[in-house]
Amino acid sequence: MPSVIRSSAVSLALGYTALGLIALVLFAAPLWYAWQGTIREGRAEILQADAQRLTDVYRREGLDGLKNFIDARIRMQIAGDRILLLTDAARHALAGNLAAWPDVSATPGDYRIQVDRGNEGIQTLLVHVASLGPYHLLVARDNRLFAPLEKRFWYGLAGAIAVLFFAGLLIGLITRRALMSRVDSIRQTVSAIIHGDLKHRLPTHLSDDELNTLSRTINGMLDQIELLVHGVRNVSNSIAHDLRTPLAELRSRLEELALIRPSSDETFAEIDGAVADVDRVIRIFDALLRLAEIDAGMRRSGFVSVDVADLASSAAEFYSPAAELKNIALSFHSDGPAPVAGDPVLLAQALSNLIDNALKYAPEGGMIGVGVHRRPGAVQIAVTDNGPGVDDAEKAKVVERFYRGDASRGTPGAGLGLSLVQAVAKLHGSALEFSDRTPGLCVALTIPSDAPPPTSTIPGAQSAAEPPGLPSTAATIP
Amino acid sequence: MKILLVEDNERVSQFVIKGLQEAGHTTDHAGNGRDGMFLAASEPYDVIIMDRMLPGDIDGLAIIEVLRKAGKRTPILILSALSEVDDRIRGLRSGGDDYLTKPFAFGELLARLDALHRRAHGVNHEIPLTVGNLHMDPMTRKVSRGDRQITLQPREFKLLEYLMRHADQVVTRTMLLENVWDYHFDPQTNVVDVHISKLRQKIDAEFDRPLLRTVRNAGYMVTAAE
Repeated sequence: MPSVIRSSAVSLALGYTALGLIALVLFAAPLWYAWQGTIREGRAEILQADAQRLTDVYRREGLDGLKNFIDARIRMQIAGDRILLLTDAARHALAGNLAAWPDVSATPGDYRIQVDRGNEGIQTLLVHVASLGPYHLLVARDNRLFAPLEKRFWYGLAGAIAVLFFAGLLIGLITRRALMSRVDSIRQTVSAIIHGDLKHRLPTHLSDDELNTLSRTINGMLDQIELLVHGVRNVSNSIAHDLRTPLAELRSRLEELALIRPSSDETFAEIDGAVADVDRVIRIFDALLRLAEIDAGMRRSGFVSVDVADLASSAAEFYSPAAELKNIALSFHSDGPAPVAGDPVLLAQALSNLIDNALKYAPEGGMIGVGVHRRPGAVQIAVTDNGPGVDDAEKAKVVERFYRGDASRGTPGAGLGLSLVQAVAKLHGSALEFSDRTPGLCVALTIPSDAPPPTSTIPGAQSAAEPPGLPSTAATIP
Repeated sequence: MKILLVEDNERVSQFVIKGLQEAGHTTDHAGNGRDGMFLAASEPYDVIIMDRMLPGDIDGLAIIEVLRKAGKRTPILILSALSEVDDRIRGLRSGGDDYLTKPFAFGELLARLDALHRRAHGVNHEIPLTVGNLHMDPMTRKVSRGDRQITLQPREFKLLEYLMRHADQVVTRTMLLENVWDYHFDPQTNVVDVHISKLRQKIDAEFDRPLLRTVRNAGYMVTAAE
């Protein structure tokens, strides 16, 4: 039972019931007093009229006439609710159905008194006292005349209170039950999720009530968590898969060595191969650690002012002999220094990965463009190639860890290059944008920059010397 | 060279000591921070190899800081399993001269120790460099071999200068990336090799004896030796 009272639904219902009771009392109390006032006034008038009539009889017929009239009145009355008493100046009874003058003043007026009437018990009387010459006249009515009506009023009120209370309790219990069943289903779902089954979702209805809204929000959160967990699982699967290959090679190499025991020259060659296999594994781990480090946002503390144009030009220069080897024209464009707040090591690595990628996909005799351009409030880095490009379905996938497109089969790499560029972009408040060139691909990242845009967009003395349009230094690196 | 190795891992220690011995160096070994600190402070060494994470209450960086405060200038190479860029920066800031992450190739370690040792003896950027009949004047930026002038791109010049300053020493690809291009990451493809072969074209192609040699599994070396 205490748990029922502790239930929020029940206590809420009981609280409302209490409020209802207070409202009922506030409504009934003035009504009661108004009613009682009306009754009292009405009665006082009746008593006064009675007294007047008796006074008239006394004036017309004298004391004896009045006595007879009173006796006749009392004899005639059926209900016995009318009380009359005529006394002399010393308040000794002369006529009437009251034995003695009650405990009330003889001064004319209206009173309310309690009188012990023997076998009829204690009665509350409304009294009118009048003076007839030396005599005192008392006219009274038993107040119980209206008791049944009052009783009905009190019973009605009690009934209303009872209905209100029990209805409140009932509603509380029903609500609690309904609420408990829904909360219980949520609890069960959540505990299923805690035990590892992320497939479960909270039950929802069409309505927009609080629990439903909450359930929908929680379901959204669960979707996101499932996606992330799925992603992590995928990544760890891919890591395991990607590491299997070099590890398998390493293992067979070593096993073969132990089995065949070749000449020392061959043994050394095999050992070199084994070291290279291990290096591949280490390289994958390094890339993953770097990615994790960037994702954790730890590197933001190392942000300094970096000239991206400078970084890009040296990256382009770094790759130009490799491009030359493939007979690819690697060109660099920029419109002057492009300062951003960033991590120079990571930005250089991202640029290097982008150019490296472009080199992998650009055809023999193709071309690669590296561009750094200032946009309002930002610096855009774009690397363009005229390779096979990436179709729309693949665009979202290429940044996934370990994803390798069909075009990359047979080329070296672990499928982490663009993931790193993506992570670096994210760290710098940017995102990777892929757009099609016909043929080819343009990968761009736009990094927010506080530096003012190129001078040509600012009207002023300096821009007069510049030719119209953006000043551009385009150079093909030899 | 007389080298101090402060490293708690037995296997790594043995591997390094053996390798250094084969390369003709004498090595003292300390297995914890306390011994390491004592040896580093009391004995004269050419180079110190310091593991970052050491058992006990004294870690590698603390030892380096104490040594530097005490005025010891011995070049120190930090060895660490922490590969994050910030750790590297922290290591160098504490007074270390170079930073190598585990796992590492022994050739890389040896090449870096040689470079550290040579750097400790001072680099004069103005003295012309000579390897065999290859001459370089860092001041006039002129390069010649025999009686022939060689024209180099600025980056090729920097690459050759670094190689010539470390003549008769193995220089690894990572060292070249860090010192010539200031790249502290692994660019996946063999771009450094392409730069080297381009440089080789310019300085070696028309001569009988190549000066720029590839050292298998390690890197490159400029040498006039047979």
